[in-house]
Amino acid sequence: MLLVVTYSREARQTLRNVCNTHEESVVQRFGRAALFEATELGAFLALRLREKHDADVQIERTVPFNEFETVGDDVRTAAREYESRDQPSTSYAKFAAGTDCPDPEAMADREL
Amino acid sequence: MKLRFEGRTWAGSAIDFRGAETTVSPETVFEAIRDGEDERVTCPEPRPIHGHVGLVVPDIEFDRTDALSAAARSRGSHAPVDDELRAVRERLEALSPASINLRSARRRVADASGAESELRERVASLQGRVRALRDTGGDPTTAEAELATATGELAEAETERIAAEQALATAREQARESRENRRERLRLQDRERNLRREARAHLAEQLRSEFDAALDRFSDEDSTAQALAVLHVADVRAPVVVACETRFESVESAADWLDAPVVRV
Repeated sequence: MLLVVTYSREARQTLRNVCNTHEESVVQRFGRAALFEATELGAFLALRLREKHDADVQIERTVPFNEFETVGDDVRTAAREYESRDQPSTSYAKFAAGTDCPDPEAMADREL
Repeated sequence: MKLRFEGRTWAGSAIDFRGAETTVSPETVFEAIRDGEDERVTCPEPRPIHGHVGLVVPDIEFDRTDALSAAARSRGSHAPVDDELRAVRERLEALSPASINLRSARRRVADASGAESELRERVASLQGRVRALRDTGGDPTTAEAELATATGELAEAETERIAAEQALATAREQARESRENRRERLRLQDRERNLRREARAHLAEQLRSEFDAALDRFSDEDSTAQALAVLHVADVRAPVVVACETRFESVESAADWLDAPVVRV
Protein backbone atom coordinates (compact mmCIF):
# COMPACT_ATOMS: atom_id res chain seq x y z
CA MET A 1 0.00 0.00 0.00
CA LEU A 2 1.00 3.65 -0.18
CA LEU A 3 1.37 5.50 3.09
CA VAL A 4 0.76 9.24 2.71
CA VAL A 5 1.66 11.49 5.64
CA THR A 6 1.01 15.24 5.68
CA TYR A 7 2.91 17.90 7.62
CA SER A 8 0.93 21.11 7.24
CA ARG A 9 -2.62 22.30 7.75
CA GLU A 10 -3.17 22.83 4.04
CA ALA A 11 -1.78 19.43 3.09
CA ARG A 12 -3.88 17.78 5.80
CA GLN A 13 -6.99 19.47 4.43
CA THR A 14 -6.20 18.38 0.87
CA LEU A 15 -5.71 14.81 2.12
CA ARG A 16 -9.13 14.93 3.78
CA ASN A 17 -10.70 16.17 0.56
CA VAL A 18 -8.98 13.48 -1.49
CA CYS A 19 -10.09 10.77 0.95
CA ASN A 20 -13.68 12.02 0.83
CA THR A 21 -13.70 12.12 -2.96
CA HIS A 22 -11.85 8.86 -3.65
CA GLU A 23 -12.99 6.44 -0.97
CA GLU A 24 -12.45 3.50 -3.34
CA SER A 25 -8.68 4.16 -3.33
CA VAL A 26 -8.37 4.77 0.41
CA VAL A 27 -7.70 1.72 2.57
CA GLN A 28 -7.45 3.52 5.89
CA ARG A 29 -7.44 7.09 7.23
CA PHE A 30 -5.55 8.34 10.28
CA GLY A 31 -6.11 12.07 10.62
CA ARG A 32 -3.11 13.58 8.89
CA ALA A 33 -2.09 10.32 7.23
CA ALA A 34 -3.77 7.72 5.07
CA LEU A 35 -3.13 4.41 3.36
CA PHE A 36 -3.93 4.35 -0.36
CA GLU A 37 -4.39 1.27 -2.51
CA ALA A 38 -1.24 0.20 -4.34
CA THR A 39 -2.77 1.00 -7.71
CA GLU A 40 -1.88 3.58 -10.31
CA LEU A 41 -4.85 5.60 -9.14
CA GLY A 42 -3.55 5.47 -5.56
CA ALA A 43 -0.13 6.62 -6.79
CA PHE A 44 -1.74 9.35 -8.90
CA LEU A 45 -3.60 10.72 -5.87
CA ALA A 46 -0.46 10.60 -3.72
CA LEU A 47 1.60 12.34 -6.40
CA ARG A 48 -1.02 15.05 -6.80
CA LEU A 49 -0.73 15.76 -3.09
CA ARG A 50 3.04 15.99 -3.39
CA GLU A 51 2.80 18.29 -6.42
CA LYS A 52 0.56 20.61 -4.43
CA HIS A 53 2.32 20.57 -1.07
CA ASP A 54 5.86 19.47 -1.86
CA ALA A 55 7.87 18.72 1.30
CA ASP A 56 4.73 18.76 3.46
CA VAL A 57 3.79 15.39 1.98
CA GLN A 58 5.63 12.12 2.59
CA ILE A 59 4.90 9.05 0.48
CA GLU A 60 6.14 5.61 1.48
CA ARG A 61 5.31 2.20 0.12
CA THR A 62 4.41 -0.42 2.70
CA VAL A 63 5.01 -4.14 2.28
CA PRO A 64 3.05 -6.97 3.94
CA PHE A 65 4.77 -8.08 7.11
CA ASN A 66 5.38 -11.80 7.62
CA GLU A 67 7.31 -12.28 10.83
CA PHE A 68 8.16 -15.87 9.88
CA GLU A 69 10.00 -14.63 6.79
CA THR A 70 11.65 -11.48 8.10
CA VAL A 71 12.23 -11.92 11.84
CA GLY A 72 14.43 -14.39 13.62
CA ASP A 73 12.99 -16.95 15.98
CA ASP A 74 14.76 -15.35 18.97
CA VAL A 75 12.96 -12.04 18.47
CA ARG A 76 9.53 -13.66 18.01
CA THR A 77 10.05 -15.78 21.13
CA ALA A 78 11.28 -12.78 23.12
CA ALA A 79 8.15 -10.82 22.23
CA ARG A 80 5.91 -13.69 23.26
CA GLU A 81 7.73 -14.36 26.52
CA TYR A 82 7.96 -10.71 27.52
CA GLU A 83 4.24 -10.18 27.01
CA SER A 84 3.50 -13.08 29.38
CA ARG A 85 5.90 -11.82 32.08
CA ASP A 86 4.86 -11.98 35.72
CA GLN A 87 5.75 -8.42 36.69
CA PRO A 88 4.11 -5.81 34.41
CA SER A 89 6.55 -3.17 35.68
CA THR A 90 9.67 -5.06 34.54
CA SER A 91 11.36 -3.30 31.64
CA TYR A 92 12.33 -5.43 28.66
CA ALA A 93 16.03 -4.69 29.11
CA LYS A 94 15.86 -6.03 32.65
CA PHE A 95 13.73 -8.97 31.58
CA ALA A 96 16.22 -9.96 28.86
CA ALA A 97 19.34 -9.64 31.01
CA GLY A 98 20.98 -13.04 31.61
CA THR A 99 18.49 -14.92 29.38
CA ASP A 100 18.55 -16.02 25.74
CA CYS A 101 16.36 -13.07 24.82
CA PRO A 102 18.18 -10.57 22.54
CA ASP A 103 18.95 -7.25 24.22
CA PRO A 104 17.22 -4.16 22.82
CA GLU A 105 20.41 -2.43 21.64
CA ALA A 106 21.52 -5.46 19.64
CA MET A 107 18.07 -5.64 18.02
CA ALA A 108 18.18 -1.92 17.22
CA ASP A 109 21.40 -2.45 15.27
CA ARG A 110 20.12 -5.36 13.21
CA GLU A 111 18.14 -4.48 10.08
CA LEU A 112 15.28 -6.76 9.08
CA MET B 1 -10.86 63.88 12.14
CA LYS B 2 -10.37 65.66 8.84
CA LEU B 3 -11.67 64.41 5.49
CA ARG B 4 -10.68 65.77 2.08
CA PHE B 5 -12.70 64.50 -0.86
CA GLU B 6 -13.50 66.02 -4.23
CA GLY B 7 -11.69 69.27 -3.39
CA ARG B 8 -13.62 69.89 -0.16
CA THR B 9 -12.67 69.50 3.46
CA TRP B 10 -14.74 68.35 6.43
CA ALA B 11 -13.62 68.42 10.06
CA GLY B 12 -15.11 67.44 13.40
CA SER B 13 -16.21 64.31 15.25
CA ALA B 14 -19.57 63.95 13.45
CA ILE B 15 -19.58 64.48 9.71
CA ASP B 16 -22.61 64.10 7.45
CA PHE B 17 -22.06 63.65 3.71
CA ARG B 18 -25.78 63.50 2.94
CA GLY B 19 -26.94 66.57 1.11
CA ALA B 20 -23.34 67.56 0.44
CA GLU B 21 -23.61 66.58 -3.22
CA THR B 22 -20.66 64.19 -3.00
CA THR B 23 -20.38 60.98 -4.96
CA VAL B 24 -17.93 59.44 -2.49
CA SER B 25 -18.97 55.89 -1.57
CA PRO B 26 -18.99 54.59 2.02
CA GLU B 27 -16.41 51.94 0.99
CA THR B 28 -14.04 54.64 -0.34
CA VAL B 29 -14.18 56.56 2.94
CA PHE B 30 -13.76 53.34 4.96
CA GLU B 31 -10.75 52.18 2.92
CA ALA B 32 -9.16 55.63 3.21
CA ILE B 33 -9.60 55.53 6.99
CA ARG B 34 -7.95 52.09 7.16
CA ASP B 35 -5.08 53.09 4.90
CA GLY B 36 -2.64 55.05 7.02
CA GLU B 37 -0.94 56.36 3.87
CA ASP B 38 -4.12 57.87 2.40
CA GLU B 39 -3.75 61.66 2.62
CA ARG B 40 -7.46 62.31 2.17
CA VAL B 41 -8.07 61.32 5.79
CA THR B 42 -6.47 62.54 9.00
CA CYS B 43 -7.59 60.46 12.00
CA PRO B 44 -6.36 58.10 14.72
CA GLU B 45 -5.17 54.71 13.50
CA PRO B 46 -7.94 52.10 13.34
CA ARG B 47 -7.69 49.06 15.63
CA PRO B 48 -8.69 45.51 14.70
CA ILE B 49 -12.26 46.19 15.91
CA HIS B 50 -12.59 48.44 12.84
CA GLY B 51 -12.26 45.48 10.51
CA HIS B 52 -15.37 43.94 12.04
CA VAL B 53 -17.81 46.84 12.41
CA GLY B 54 -16.04 49.98 11.16
CA LEU B 55 -18.33 50.17 8.15
CA VAL B 56 -21.98 49.86 9.13
CA VAL B 57 -24.06 48.99 6.07
CA PRO B 58 -27.64 47.65 5.88
CA ASP B 59 -27.69 43.93 6.78
CA ILE B 60 -24.03 44.11 7.83
CA GLU B 61 -22.56 40.65 8.29
CA PHE B 62 -20.01 40.02 11.01
CA ASP B 63 -19.11 37.36 13.56
CA ARG B 64 -20.43 38.53 16.91
CA THR B 65 -17.95 36.61 19.02
CA ASP B 66 -15.00 37.84 16.94
CA ALA B 67 -16.28 41.43 17.03
CA LEU B 68 -16.97 41.42 20.78
CA SER B 69 -13.57 39.92 21.46
CA ALA B 70 -11.95 42.67 19.34
CA ALA B 71 -14.04 45.18 21.30
CA ALA B 72 -12.67 43.79 24.56
CA ARG B 73 -9.13 44.00 23.15
CA SER B 74 -9.76 47.62 22.16
CA ARG B 75 -10.38 48.31 25.84
CA GLY B 76 -7.11 46.67 26.78
CA SER B 77 -8.61 43.43 28.09
CA HIS B 78 -6.55 40.25 28.23
CA ALA B 79 -7.44 36.58 28.13
CA PRO B 80 -5.91 34.07 30.55
CA VAL B 81 -4.35 32.19 27.62
CA ASP B 82 -2.60 35.28 26.20
CA ASP B 83 0.80 34.36 27.64
CA GLU B 84 0.66 30.85 26.27
CA LEU B 85 -0.59 32.18 22.95
CA ARG B 86 2.38 34.54 22.75
CA ALA B 87 4.79 31.73 23.60
CA VAL B 88 3.27 29.48 20.95
CA ARG B 89 3.53 32.22 18.33
CA GLU B 90 7.16 32.91 19.21
CA ARG B 91 7.98 29.23 18.85
CA LEU B 92 6.16 29.13 15.53
CA GLU B 93 8.18 32.06 14.24
CA ALA B 94 11.41 30.41 15.30
CA LEU B 95 10.56 27.24 13.38
CA SER B 96 11.65 27.21 9.78
CA PRO B 97 11.83 23.64 8.52
CA ALA B 98 14.34 23.12 5.74
CA SER B 99 12.90 22.10 2.40
CA ILE B 100 14.61 18.90 1.36
CA ASN B 101 13.85 17.97 -2.21
CA LEU B 102 14.21 14.22 -2.69
CA ARG B 103 12.88 14.16 -6.23
CA SER B 104 16.25 14.36 -8.00
CA ALA B 105 17.79 11.85 -5.60
CA ARG B 106 14.93 9.38 -6.26
CA ARG B 107 15.24 9.87 -9.99
CA ARG B 108 18.99 9.30 -9.89
CA VAL B 109 18.49 5.96 -8.09
CA ALA B 110 15.83 4.87 -10.59
CA ASP B 111 18.00 5.85 -13.58
CA ALA B 112 21.10 4.18 -12.16
CA SER B 113 19.22 0.96 -11.35
CA GLY B 114 17.74 0.88 -14.85
CA ALA B 115 21.11 1.40 -16.51
CA GLU B 116 22.68 -1.29 -14.33
CA SER B 117 19.98 -3.87 -15.18
CA GLU B 118 20.33 -3.21 -18.91
CA LEU B 119 24.10 -3.63 -18.77
CA ARG B 120 23.79 -6.75 -16.65
CA GLU B 121 21.60 -8.31 -19.36
CA ARG B 122 24.00 -7.19 -22.07
CA VAL B 123 26.98 -8.73 -20.26
CA ALA B 124 25.05 -12.00 -19.82
CA SER B 125 24.13 -12.20 -23.50
CA LEU B 126 27.71 -11.35 -24.60
CA GLN B 127 29.05 -14.03 -22.26
CA GLY B 128 26.66 -16.48 -23.96
CA ARG B 129 27.83 -15.40 -27.40
CA VAL B 130 31.55 -15.74 -26.49
CA ARG B 131 30.89 -19.21 -25.06
CA ALA B 132 28.96 -20.28 -28.17
CA LEU B 133 31.68 -19.02 -30.51
CA ARG B 134 34.35 -20.87 -28.54
CA ASP B 135 32.25 -24.07 -28.48
CA THR B 136 31.68 -23.97 -32.24
CA GLY B 137 35.29 -23.07 -33.09
CA GLY B 138 34.37 -19.58 -34.27
CA ASP B 139 36.48 -16.44 -33.72
CA PRO B 140 35.40 -14.87 -30.38
CA THR B 141 37.81 -11.88 -30.58
CA THR B 142 35.22 -9.21 -31.42
CA ALA B 143 32.66 -10.57 -28.96
CA GLU B 144 35.34 -10.77 -26.24
CA ALA B 145 36.26 -7.11 -26.82
CA GLU B 146 32.59 -6.12 -26.62
CA LEU B 147 32.21 -8.18 -23.45
CA ALA B 148 35.24 -6.48 -21.87
CA THR B 149 33.80 -3.04 -22.65
CA ALA B 150 30.34 -3.98 -21.34
CA THR B 151 31.83 -5.48 -18.17
CA GLY B 152 33.69 -2.24 -17.53
CA GLU B 153 30.54 -0.22 -18.10
CA LEU B 154 28.60 -2.50 -15.75
CA ALA B 155 31.15 -1.94 -12.99
CA GLU B 156 30.78 1.82 -13.46
CA ALA B 157 26.99 1.60 -13.47
CA GLU B 158 27.06 -0.42 -10.27
CA THR B 159 29.29 2.17 -8.61
CA GLU B 160 26.91 4.93 -9.71
CA ARG B 161 23.87 3.02 -8.39
CA ILE B 162 25.48 2.53 -4.99
CA ALA B 163 26.45 6.20 -4.84
CA ALA B 164 22.90 7.21 -5.82
CA GLU B 165 21.39 4.98 -3.14
CA GLN B 166 23.71 6.45 -0.52
CA ALA B 167 22.83 10.00 -1.59
CA LEU B 168 19.14 9.16 -1.36
CA ALA B 169 19.59 7.61 2.08
CA THR B 170 21.35 10.77 3.27
CA ALA B 171 18.65 13.01 1.79
CA ARG B 172 15.93 10.87 3.39
CA GLU B 173 17.63 11.26 6.74
CA GLN B 174 17.67 15.05 6.31
CA ALA B 175 14.03 15.01 5.21
CA ARG B 176 13.19 13.04 8.33
CA GLU B 177 14.73 15.73 10.52
CA SER B 178 12.92 18.47 8.62
CA ARG B 179 9.64 16.54 9.01
CA GLU B 180 10.12 16.50 12.76
CA ASN B 181 10.13 20.30 12.54
CA ARG B 182 7.12 20.30 10.25
CA ARG B 183 5.21 18.04 12.60
CA GLU B 184 6.03 20.36 15.48
CA ARG B 185 4.92 23.34 13.40
CA LEU B 186 1.62 21.66 12.64
CA ARG B 187 1.11 20.85 16.31
CA LEU B 188 1.81 24.46 17.28
CA GLN B 189 -0.50 25.80 14.56
CA ASP B 190 -3.33 23.66 15.88
CA ARG B 191 -2.55 24.73 19.43
CA GLU B 192 -2.50 28.38 18.36
CA ARG B 193 -5.86 28.08 16.69
CA ASN B 194 -7.43 26.48 19.76
CA LEU B 195 -5.92 29.09 22.09
CA ARG B 196 -7.13 31.89 19.82
CA ARG B 197 -10.63 30.46 19.89
CA GLU B 198 -10.45 30.12 23.66
CA ALA B 199 -9.25 33.72 24.04
CA ARG B 200 -11.98 35.02 21.73
CA ALA B 201 -14.71 33.20 23.62
CA HIS B 202 -13.39 34.45 26.95
CA LEU B 203 -13.07 38.08 25.81
CA ALA B 204 -16.49 38.12 24.14
CA GLU B 205 -18.06 36.70 27.29
CA GLN B 206 -16.59 39.59 29.32
CA LEU B 207 -18.62 42.11 27.32
CA ARG B 208 -21.72 39.98 26.79
CA SER B 209 -23.94 41.63 29.42
CA GLU B 210 -22.79 45.15 28.49
CA PHE B 211 -23.52 44.34 24.87
CA ASP B 212 -26.99 42.99 25.72
CA ALA B 213 -27.74 46.17 27.68
CA ALA B 214 -26.60 48.34 24.76
CA LEU B 215 -28.75 46.32 22.39
CA ASP B 216 -31.81 47.07 24.52
CA ARG B 217 -31.67 50.63 23.23
CA PHE B 218 -32.92 49.43 19.85
CA SER B 219 -36.45 48.23 19.18
CA ASP B 220 -35.28 46.16 16.21
CA GLU B 221 -32.26 44.05 17.18
CA ASP B 222 -31.10 43.33 13.64
CA SER B 223 -27.46 43.08 12.55
CA THR B 224 -27.17 46.87 12.22
CA ALA B 225 -28.30 47.33 15.82
CA GLN B 226 -25.88 44.61 16.90
CA ALA B 227 -22.97 46.30 15.10
CA LEU B 228 -23.82 49.63 16.76
CA ALA B 229 -24.05 47.91 20.16
CA VAL B 230 -20.59 46.36 19.64
CA LEU B 231 -19.23 49.83 18.76
CA HIS B 232 -20.87 51.21 21.89
CA VAL B 233 -19.08 48.78 24.20
CA ALA B 234 -15.78 49.04 22.29
CA ASP B 235 -13.16 51.75 22.69
CA VAL B 236 -13.22 53.15 19.16
CA ARG B 237 -10.96 56.01 18.15
CA ALA B 238 -10.90 55.95 14.37
CA PRO B 239 -14.00 57.21 12.54
CA VAL B 240 -16.86 54.79 11.98
CA VAL B 241 -18.51 54.97 8.56
CA VAL B 242 -22.28 54.65 8.80
CA ALA B 243 -24.16 53.98 5.58
CA CYS B 244 -27.62 53.07 6.89
CA GLU B 245 -30.36 54.28 9.20
CA THR B 246 -28.81 54.64 12.65
CA ARG B 247 -32.06 55.22 14.55
CA PHE B 248 -30.45 58.26 16.16
CA GLU B 249 -31.80 61.80 15.94
CA SER B 250 -28.60 63.12 14.42
CA VAL B 251 -25.07 62.14 13.46
CA GLU B 252 -23.91 64.03 16.57
CA SER B 253 -26.06 61.96 18.89
CA ALA B 254 -24.84 58.76 17.17
CA ALA B 255 -21.25 59.89 17.71
CA ASP B 256 -22.07 60.65 21.35
CA TRP B 257 -23.66 57.27 22.03
CA LEU B 258 -20.97 55.35 20.17
CA ASP B 259 -18.31 57.56 21.78
CA ALA B 260 -16.50 57.58 18.43
CA PRO B 261 -16.11 59.84 15.43
CA VAL B 262 -18.84 59.13 12.88
CA VAL B 263 -19.08 59.75 9.15
CA ARG B 264 -22.61 59.41 7.79
CA VAL B 265 -22.40 58.61 4.07
